Amino acid sequence: MDRARIFKSILWAITGLGSAALATRFLIGLGAIANMNDAVPWGLWKGFNIFPGIALAGGGFVMTAIIYIMAREEYHKYAKISVLLAFLGYLTAATALVTELGLPWLVWHPIIFWQHHSPLFEVSWCVMLYLTVLFLEFIPVPLEETSRFAKIRIFLTKYKIVLVFLGIMISTLHQSSLGSMWLITPEKLHPLWYTSLLPILFFLSAVAIGPIMLILAILVITRIYRRRTDSQTLSKLGLLSVFGVLVYGLVRLIDIGVKGKFAMIFDGSWQSTFFLVEISLMVVIPLVLMGVRRLRNSSGSLWVASLSAVIGLGFDRANIAGIMLSVDGPMYTPTLFEVLVSLAIISAAILAFLFGIERFKIWDTKWEDPREKPESHPDFDRSAEVWLGTPRLAGRSVYSLIFVVSLAVGFAIIPGKRIYSDGVQEVVSQKAYGGDTLCIDGNRDNYGVTFDHKAHVVRNSNDSSCVLCHHMNQPNDKQSGCYSCHRDMYQTTDAFRHDWHADPANANIGCMECHAIDQERLATTAKACDQCHKDLIPPGATITIEKYMAPSYTDAMHFLCIDCHRQKAEELTDKPDLALCTTCHRWKHPNHLQDEVAEKYNHPYFNHVVLPQKGSKEKGH
Amino acid sequence: MKAAILTDVTKCIGCLECVAACKKTNKLDRDFPRSWHKNDGLSARNWTSIVEKPEQHYIRKQCRHCLEPACVSVCPVAALYKTKEGPVVYDPDKCMGCRYCMVACPYGIPRYDWDKPAAYVQKCHMCIDLIKQGKQPACIEACPTQATIFGDRDQLMAEAHRRIKDEPEKYINKVYGEFEVGGTSVLYVSDIDLEFLSYPLKPGTEPLPDTMKPAMEAVPPVFVGMGALMGGVYWICRRREKLQGEKEGNKE
Ligand code: SF4
Ligand code: SF4
Ligand code: SF4
Repeated sequence: MDRARIFKSILWAITGLGSAALATRFLIGLGAIANMNDAVPWGLWKGFNIFPGIALAGGGFVMTAIIYIMAREEYHKYAKISVLLAFLGYLTAATALVTELGLPWLVWHPIIFWQHHSPLFEVSWCVMLYLTVLFLEFIPVPLEETSRFAKIRIFLTKYKIVLVFLGIMISTLHQSSLGSMWLITPEKLHPLWYTSLLPILFFLSAVAIGPIMLILAILVITRIYRRRTDSQTLSKLGLLSVFGVLVYGLVRLIDIGVKGKFAMIFDGSWQSTFFLVEISLMVVIPLVLMGVRRLRNSSGSLWVASLSAVIGLGFDRANIAGIMLSVDGPMYTPTLFEVLVSLAIISAAILAFLFGIERFKIWDTKWEDPREKPESHPDFDRSAEVWLGTPRLAGRSVYSLIFVVSLAVGFAIIPGKRIYSDGVQEVVSQKAYGGDTLCIDGNRDNYGVTFDHKAHVVRNSNDSSCVLCHHMNQPNDKQSGCYSCHRDMYQTTDAFRHDWHADPANANIGCMECHAIDQERLATTAKACDQCHKDLIPPGATITIEKYMAPSYTDAMHFLCIDCHRQKAEELTDKPDLALCTTCHRWKHPNHLQDEVAEKYNHPYFNHVVLPQKGSKEKGH
Repeated sequence: MKAAILTDVTKCIGCLECVAACKKTNKLDRDFPRSWHKNDGLSARNWTSIVEKPEQHYIRKQCRHCLEPACVSVCPVAALYKTKEGPVVYDPDKCMGCRYCMVACPYGIPRYDWDKPAAYVQKCHMCIDLIKQGKQPACIEACPTQATIFGDRDQLMAEAHRRIKDEPEKYINKVYGEFEVGGTSVLYVSDIDLEFLSYPLKPGTEPLPDTMKPAMEAVPPVFVGMGALMGGVYWICRRREKLQGEKEGNKE
């Protein structure tokens, strides 16, 4: 079967899946599909697409330097392909950047708002300029196909050397500035990676491994299209790059040695293991496989060495841009959708790359397969009959079909709830509930303030008053279902007392009064409250409050009670101002309250309140 | 005057009045617990928060308004900037949402609107508008115990040292924010260690922007130098080619 076609179908499917996630991100927000958070503001797209992408696309400027400046003619046939590879590499990085910017339509802002001491400012300028340079370097190739823009093509080809110079100078800057970006995080980045040499290391590794990426790309496409590999030139290029790898490895290790961090490499922590893996992938394996002559000449070791170096470089960038940064909040693991977006951007770039190879004279000749393509059809990939067996379905339609179907699948699997769900934090439940008086121990340190529950009930017109406070847990509460707050009977926010309901319903045998027989016994599957409590929520009750719920008594007090007390305090000047925290919380450890409570409420009916145990906790004033 | 805030951890009773005042003054929306929140209470809709520590310790967290702020030095579009009054403020019209400031801040302060299609960075701006009118920030006004006070940085620093000197057995002998990352405008005195406010690898007293300075200053020379170097190589290679060509010509 046709390798190229299977490969492309897979790429189209991934692109479709990822595009759905991408669309969701732009319509609803990053939080809808990504796990990036306040502690990890940069995620997979930075660590997988942007930083490694730009580093690997560094092959473009290195190759043009080798070919046009050092005049190494033997590599001339790789000139166009390396420029195309670089161009698409930068495009993927730029796409990923736009995807992960919070305000993507303002990506051009650095052009007008200047901040010359920010490395990112410099990187954005350079990337924009370099993309233009790469575009101008590449555009003569497609223009060869038509005679219409011959003048432009000839002009660009004539002054190519200017573009080459510009490209090298700009690349030097931003490849290193990508390293400078991490200089600002000495307190976060692991010491094995953090060094003031980061810009130099970034530059060196991009220079060394950029060409190896080109080797890998050539190996892959020659395999997909079943071409012969010119392994002699490739291994020569490999040898050249391996010198760069050696320099990089030496600089890095010497730097670590000089800074006295050598012991850290072998301290057995997971970071040190990652470091060793990284160094072996990036430096040791390529050095051995490409450096030793006997190994270098086999295409197998070229494969392994280039794969290892490329993965190693990606791993290095991912480590610096994410894995090795210390996190003081929720841990970050990318969601499926972040992964899909990541892969989709890369797949689209590979598709464009393959298209370029099939369509244009990137190499000696176009790479369409003469066996499957009639001479009269100059179009891109028309004949899928061979593997589909239906002559009418041309390749193009098949790919569109695959794309559309996977796009639909992508949309179908995105969870709609993520952005709108408002999870409730689990709080350990504390026993302090209804009765004449509540002892409210908001911070649960066994020192509480007394709350005259009964007086509030009476003042708010007795029995029908409960809902005034106990149904204020929702913004704009209007007949909302009881379970919208009372979700879990073991949470502090939950005023629903399961045992009070179980008792009148004959305890354990009464479950079926509320819970359906064949269902799991959950709040969500039980009978709705208003099926029994017909008048639980007064008709038309609409209350707006500051907070949506009361995860602790502090919140309850501050957003429900205090406001009322503030009013009262203004009216009655002879009473203590209960709205003022310091009226009760006069000291940090209000032992006086403890005595007060014990004295005033020390009678047998006071059984609903868990009294603070006097002297149970030794506290100083 | 260099505006500053001094927070005395021993005086804070954790009443959250400052939090409420901040939300009200800056018209911050209701907040919901979200998967992307850190557990310190700060979020895109909470610019200040109270972090609870054992034994009745409440620590108010907010932007430290560093004297040499990392966030300002990394912002590629100068959306964050240091005002002459002292506060570090944010211009949403310039920001492009790259979140580099969040990566760079040594205290992990800036937060993000993860749930919005047009998402902005959010952090305390020390109520710059109020300060310009000669008033105090809202959170300071609201504090019932004067645990957090506002004033000139030098005066507050003197006050902090005075408190420590008067009651050395009560306080830890350190004004948090005096030297870290080159000094911050939000200072703390405390009876417990406040190191947890920054990352585990301590940033030290060197201002963070200085770490990037050599690299960024090298940019123009590197640009020109690389061009010159390549030019040299180009010239040599061409010359060698020419000589070789002549030699071969001579042979014939
Ligand atoms: S604490 Fe962070 S956000 Fe605030 S000024 Fe300093 S670096 Fe900027
Ligand atoms: S997110 Fe906005 S404020 Fe922060 S560094 Fe980027 S552009 Fe500047
Ligand atoms: S200074 Fe203003 S913005 Fe900052 S925490 Fe206080 S009230 Fe909020």
